[in-house]
Amino acid sequence: MKFIHIADVHLGAKPDKDKPWGEERENHSWQAFTDVINKAREEQAQLLLIAGDLFHRQPLMGELKEVNYQFSRIPQTQVALIAGNRDFIGMHSCYRAFTWAENVHFLREEKLGYAELEGLGVRVYGLSYGRRRIREHLYDQAQPAAGEFYNILLGHGGDEDHIPFETESLKDSDFDYVALGHIHKPMQLVKNKVVMAGALQPVSPKDTGEHGFFMGEIGKYGCRAEFYPLRYCEYASLNLKVNKEITTEALMEVMKSQIRKAPPHQFFKINLTGDSNLEEPVDLEALARMDRVVQVQSRCQPDYDLEKLKLQYQGQILGRYIEALEEMPQDEITKKALYYGVEALLTE
Amino acid sequence: MRITEIQIKNFGNLHNINIRPLPGINVIYGENETGKSTLQQFISGMLFGLEKRQGIPDRTDDYQQYEPWNNSASYAGGLKFTVADKPFYLERNFYYKEPSAKLINEEDLEELSVEHGDLDVLLGGMNRETYENTFCIRQASVETKQEFADTLQNYFVNASLGREGGVDLAGARKQLRDGREKACQEYQKKQAEQKEEEEKLLMAERLLKKDVEQLKKQKKEGYRALLQREEDNLFLLEHDSNQMAEYLRDIRQQRQQKSYYLRFGISIVLFFAALLAGIWNGLEHLMKAPAAGWIGLEVLLGCLMLFAAVQAFSWHRKSKRLKLLRRQQEEESREQKQYNSIESEQLKQKEQQQKQTRKQAVEELLQIQVLEKLAELVNLQEELEECRIPTEEEEEYQRQMKAYELAERTLEQLSQEAYQDTREQMEQEISRILSELTNGKYKKIGLDSQMNLVATAGKHRHYPWQLSQGTMEQMYLALRMGAGGFFTREESMPILLDEVFAAFDEKRLTGTLQWLGRQKQQIFLFTCQKREIDILESQGIPFGKIMLSR
Repeated sequence: MKFIHIADVHLGAKPDKDKPWGEERENHSWQAFTDVINKAREEQAQLLLIAGDLFHRQPLMGELKEVNYQFSRIPQTQVALIAGNRDFIGMHSCYRAFTWAENVHFLREEKLGYAELEGLGVRVYGLSYGRRRIREHLYDQAQPAAGEFYNILLGHGGDEDHIPFETESLKDSDFDYVALGHIHKPMQLVKNKVVMAGALQPVSPKDTGEHGFFMGEIGKYGCRAEFYPLRYCEYASLNLKVNKEITTEALMEVMKSQIRKAPPHQFFKINLTGDSNLEEPVDLEALARMDRVVQVQSRCQPDYDLEKLKLQYQGQILGRYIEALEEMPQDEITKKALYYGVEALLTE
Repeated sequence: MRITEIQIKNFGNLHNINIRPLPGINVIYGENETGKSTLQQFISGMLFGLEKRQGIPDRTDDYQQYEPWNNSASYAGGLKFTVADKPFYLERNFYYKEPSAKLINEEDLEELSVEHGDLDVLLGGMNRETYENTFCIRQASVETKQEFADTLQNYFVNASLGREGGVDLAGARKQLRDGREKACQEYQKKQAEQKEEEEKLLMAERLLKKDVEQLKKQKKEGYRALLQREEDNLFLLEHDSNQMAEYLRDIRQQRQQKSYYLRFGISIVLFFAALLAGIWNGLEHLMKAPAAGWIGLEVLLGCLMLFAAVQAFSWHRKSKRLKLLRRQQEEESREQKQYNSIESEQLKQKEQQQKQTRKQAVEELLQIQVLEKLAELVNLQEELEECRIPTEEEEEYQRQMKAYELAERTLEQLSQEAYQDTREQMEQEISRILSELTNGKYKKIGLDSQMNLVATAGKHRHYPWQLSQGTMEQMYLALRMGAGGFFTREESMPILLDEVFAAFDEKRLTGTLQWLGRQKQQIFLFTCQKREIDILESQGIPFGKIMLSR
């Protein structure tokens, strides 16, 4: 039996909404979702597993209709889905008032239950979020009921506030496949058994790296799942080491050429390291306004030799300043304060 | 700094004099009026310049005081000295019309610029005022001037400001403040943007809430409005039988009936009248005497009777027919009414059903709309929450602001400490010197908040003027030497002492000279007495002797 496993489609998300390409990005989740439906049809997948957070927020009637229409396009494929923490079934959820197409199995209960898929010999276990946070370990003790079925657990969670679980206990469970969602990075936690699908497409610049879906087969000889990327958007980090002499313009040129070389679906998070020029600092906001740049972070530090300065200005205010700040509990603020102070004191 | 040669061309009453002082103590001995003070003035004049003051000359104008009477143009001299073992030559012309200063590094004969502060560098930043309040003690003025209190205060402040270490703390402070303000501005800008976004969302939320309210209200009342229209339709249906027409017809028919009855009545009356008249005629005339006239009348009456009878019959029939018609009509109308009422009953029921289903449909539709709006509301509130989470940029600016604040605070604290430290250090130094000068009688000397000297002996605090002249002078000497040491950390300066020890007894003078003998600085001791020379000789302290004579 062929199946496709997706999660965290986040329909309706608006990544990069302050950027000129924000509108384009808004469509990516829908486009990717449609691609998966098409793929299911092409590949004649018998099962489509959706492990929560199909919607970025509470789904509206129109959105549910659109999704349902997409499902109705693949009548040969059974669809099993659950609501995640983002599209949880609240008091006023439209999920409550919606009737799905015949091939859709919506596990709407907050308690673990299963849907039996006729003709496939498959039971899909799962539960839906009825609230935003669930701290209980609801999956750790989960086991399928006895019977001649392939058993699949459809789960959503994996951090402290969202059904934490132990990979080990899922590994040791009797499920044939555990289709997980919530963590946006695609991972085979246990190869061919416990799989975090990751977001179908990245939802925020935090979701770096490739995104897509898992497709595989369950049969007598076990389960096999493989990752298939979808490339509407990918966030990549671009680390640049700078020196004191670099100007904003020169840096922009370097970045431009680097970005031009990269595949067009990539967007960049810029990390600057190295020595910072204190008199004419690089204009980070100008860098952030560049095409295909989503974020700019500077971890540059002035390259003061603090030990040498301490020795040179021992007993004087500069030396004592360095010592005083080094004695404080070290965090980002004291670190910054140290450099600000040294910089100010060394300015003639 | 060590002075190696003093060359005077013309200065006060000194002309063409060349002196080569020794590194240590130099005693310049001369009777009154031999130019000891002039020599001292020359040295400080060479080092710091001597400019003619504007306005009326007075006694304190050094330029006037030492200007030669006859040869102003050669109001000049030279000074050879070493700084850090490097030889320099300084030449000055004091004459106000053509003042000049020339500084030469004798090692490589490079000419330096006094104008551009090269000499100031060699003097280690010491200025005339400070010099005259420390190492340069003029006759009978060991007491420091009031202005020195300010100098000291400034010195401590500067020390606390870190200026002595080549650091501009005020500038640093300003830079930090500027940095903080800039970060603050950026932060506020971001916050304003966020606020704007939030306002938009709040507005959308208000609209949505209104929508929900309205939908809920519609759900309650909306279908009723729909029903109202249906009732209007029913009302029209009931009036379809046109009662007014029936009513009008009825009235018309009634009137007709009445007229039929009336005509029937008249015909009957006419009939009977004709009958009675015929009978009367027959009995009265025909029976008695039938005449042609009476027969004609009888015939006429018979005809009239016949006519009346026919008329009565005809009206009766018409009336009867109308009655029948009316009865029929009445029946028809009743039937119609009955039928109508049944039909309307059925119709009503049907309507009721339709109403019910329509109500349900409307309710369902509205319910879904309400749900959708509520979902939107939940989403919007979520978006609002997300919008309120400070962005990374905001957090960064906040961190920057905090870091700047911390830097400012730390610097402030350190400069306070530096002020106290420097002051304490200087007090210790002065105390040490005084203790040595007084052989341990006064161990502690300090400065009060007005920078006045306070000596502590045992539990008592003494101000200089409460003590003997000699002790007071010792205290000031200690202050001058101690403070001077602080001002000349980078490069020492010669100590010029002009008749400072006149009020000292033998013991004090011996102690003082012994202390001076231990100093590494070059010392010029101007005196008109042999006392100092004797003690130096008897104590075996090496010194150079320069005799001035008239």
